[in-house]
Amino acid sequence: MERNVAYTEPSATVQPSRWKRFFRLLVQQRALVVMSVPFVIWLFIFKYLPLWGWTIAFQDFKPARGFFDQQWVGFKHFQFLFGDERFLRVLRNTLVMSAINLVLGFTTAITLALMLNEVRQIVFKRVVQTISYLPHFISWVVAAGIIQSVLSTDGIVNDLLMWLGVIDDEVLFLGVGHWFWGIFGASVVWKDLGWNTIVYLAAMTMIDPAQYEAAEMDGAGRFKRMWHITLPGIRPVIVVLLIMNIGYLLDSGFEPQYLLGNGMNIDYSENLDIFVLKYGINMGNFSLSVAASMFKTVVSFILLFAANHIAKRLGQARLY
Amino acid sequence: MLASVAAACSDNKQEPVPSSQAENSPSEQPLDKVTFRIFNGVAGEKDVNTNETRIGKILEEQTGVNFKIEHLVGDLNAKVGTMVAANEYPDVIIPDAAINQLLNAGAFIDLNPLIEKYGPNIKRVFQPYYNRMKAKDGGIYFLPFSTVVNKYIPDPNINQGGFWVQRRVLEWAGYPKIRKVDEYFKLIEDFIKAHPNEKLTGFVALTHDWRFFATTNVPNHLAGYPNDGEVMVDMQTHEAKIYAGTEYEKRWFKMLNEINNKGLFDKSSFVDNYDQYIAKLTSHKVLGFFDYGWQIGSAQNVLSDAAKADPSQDGYRYFALPVTFHGGKDQYLDPPGFVNNRGFGITVSAKDPVRIIKFIDNLLKEENQILVKWGVEGETYLKDEKGRMYRTQEMIDKMDKKFNEDYGFSVFDWDWPHFGTNSTLSNGNAASPGLQPEVFQLSLTEPDKKILSAYGVKTYSELFTPPDERPWFPAWGIQKEQGSPQQIFEAKKTEIQRKYIPELVLSTPDKFENVWTRYTTELNKLDIAGYEKWYTERIKEIVAKVKGQ
Repeated sequence: MERNVAYTEPSATVQPSRWKRFFRLLVQQRALVVMSVPFVIWLFIFKYLPLWGWTIAFQDFKPARGFFDQQWVGFKHFQFLFGDERFLRVLRNTLVMSAINLVLGFTTAITLALMLNEVRQIVFKRVVQTISYLPHFISWVVAAGIIQSVLSTDGIVNDLLMWLGVIDDEVLFLGVGHWFWGIFGASVVWKDLGWNTIVYLAAMTMIDPAQYEAAEMDGAGRFKRMWHITLPGIRPVIVVLLIMNIGYLLDSGFEPQYLLGNGMNIDYSENLDIFVLKYGINMGNFSLSVAASMFKTVVSFILLFAANHIAKRLGQARLY
Repeated sequence: MLASVAAACSDNKQEPVPSSQAENSPSEQPLDKVTFRIFNGVAGEKDVNTNETRIGKILEEQTGVNFKIEHLVGDLNAKVGTMVAANEYPDVIIPDAAINQLLNAGAFIDLNPLIEKYGPNIKRVFQPYYNRMKAKDGGIYFLPFSTVVNKYIPDPNINQGGFWVQRRVLEWAGYPKIRKVDEYFKLIEDFIKAHPNEKLTGFVALTHDWRFFATTNVPNHLAGYPNDGEVMVDMQTHEAKIYAGTEYEKRWFKMLNEINNKGLFDKSSFVDNYDQYIAKLTSHKVLGFFDYGWQIGSAQNVLSDAAKADPSQDGYRYFALPVTFHGGKDQYLDPPGFVNNRGFGITVSAKDPVRIIKFIDNLLKEENQILVKWGVEGETYLKDEKGRMYRTQEMIDKMDKKFNEDYGFSVFDWDWPHFGTNSTLSNGNAASPGLQPEVFQLSLTEPDKKILSAYGVKTYSELFTPPDERPWFPAWGIQKEQGSPQQIFEAKKTEIQRKYIPELVLSTPDKFENVWTRYTTELNKLDIAGYEKWYTERIKEIVAKVKGQ
């Protein structure tokens, strides 16, 4: 390697030619550039302009008053947020449920995709796929209703366990706090499993069939082929999705927790978004909501950079 | 987010509508037609032009004013927030729970000068409450709804709280007089013992979301107080005290704990949502529950429709009992009240506030109150030789949902300044047909009459003690500012209760004391004294205002 470096041109001469190349490319691809202009404007208006709203976090914001008529309060809302004893609990719930989401979501989706990929019966494969991604299209309101009635004291789960003799008395599944995370994980998997497999299945179709044939020639069995060809084949997709999802680690979702949560499991079900809804928006305290969302954005930003950096270090595919 | 940007960037200052505009207009022609826009912050109703209804047409002929009413779709706070951010409003807003947001933003004009000039009827109707309607700066920014005009007349039905029990239980026990909560549970227990194979549930509670107060309010009622919200107010000293964490509450949850350990309580009460709760009430399996009548209307309708089709089903309907701890005087029925955190406001964007206020003044004439509540004589009501107003069976039968919409009864109901439900007309008739004894009697079925006569009464509410005079009632209707310490106290208190009440009820009896101690320790961390002080001050202010007149 070192020797190669010695033979390259001095960097001083590389720099201008790089710029020149950039502009030449720009002119060559002007059609593309022009086409992207609307999207850049869109991005600017909807993603960058709203950042101005962050100033609200440092005010006691009152709607319909001009910017200069607002009362500035410094870090008061951040202090309230971090000073509240429930904030730590809410943050813990957010992170745990998000991690559950991430780990379960990935493992189950990849496993199902691997298994579906091995199915040669097209009809069967289609049926499994369709059934498994149907729940994705149900709204959480309906899904939560289904989950609630399945888990209620006269629901099918209680009936089944009673019939099998596992329990003697009906169990309030949603009433036991520390079971909530489990129920949440299972619900999320049930709802989104099929949907999540789609991207992996698509990635698998990109793998050159010749590789499988070659491996088969060399005597690789079904599991060896999965391990040595399919999985490495979709690795870039996995890594990029992982990095992106890590950026959303503070978004553990809102609907399932809100709809399945109740007084008995509140210690485990309440997450950051619900906290903000309760103490920010419901009480007209928009400043607190903005402070919380700023906190979320900053943490997500750090996580995303960290994950991307690690991927880069490990020589994996990455976002940028 | 975009809305917040718009709010942050815009530098609009709304000027209150200059009163000179009000002075310029008296010379206008009263009959040139005009349409105003109303936003009503209640979802699930039809958008309508008032002049498309029978009643609205008549009012338009009188005043030339038509209203185009738009109802809420989606989230109330978001909808109102957008209006505030843009500083553009319809002519009139009836903002339901979002009223503070609009008041803070200065969206409503001061009605004082308009009422002085054009509102003799408004003044007359709101007179007893006139001082209380004024904001801190002396302005009146919205017209509240619930005012009692002339004499107070009680609702024959139970629309407020009560301990409900299936009618067949009472019939089975020979219609006993039940006044104490112990007797109530004893009755339910005996009935279940006598019917072991029916898989009956003794008692359920409603805990879902904001309706949770149906569970937390109970100790207050059992102690003999009306629904003032979070506090009990002493009749003499006007001190407000919260009842969460008191002996009353302890006694009630101890009782539920015992019921639960006898297998009479439905555990899923703490996880069920509102729909599941209503479904349980219509399942015939639930013997008793505490709730407010207005909250269980849909269940009651299902049960009474079924009983009309097949009278043998009547036993599954529910009957409300005025149960207390001590068996003495109860206060379940609302006294004449004044809710001051809901109302009808004219906005700064209104084209012609004078026409609107004139319309409202005209609406509050007694003849027009008869029109919007009773309808047109000969069509929807009749008068006998003594001047008593009544409806025939055919009239009542034709008044279904569709008819009420087309005729305009459902347009001109609760949301307009009107004679409150419990008002009377100057000739002694009830202002609301449902409260007129003659109309109520017609609505009764044979089994209804049977159970009422078994208790020696003519209406359901006669079993309950008439309400005492409470000028501040309801205390929950006193405005609290958004994000104020009082609001935060209530949110935190409810959160603690949400966590501990299920534990109190579902734990084994030996652990009850322990849970209770933990619960009250948590509660006492909150600023209870400050909250009570705030309420006491507000209540004393109101009492002073009322006396000052």
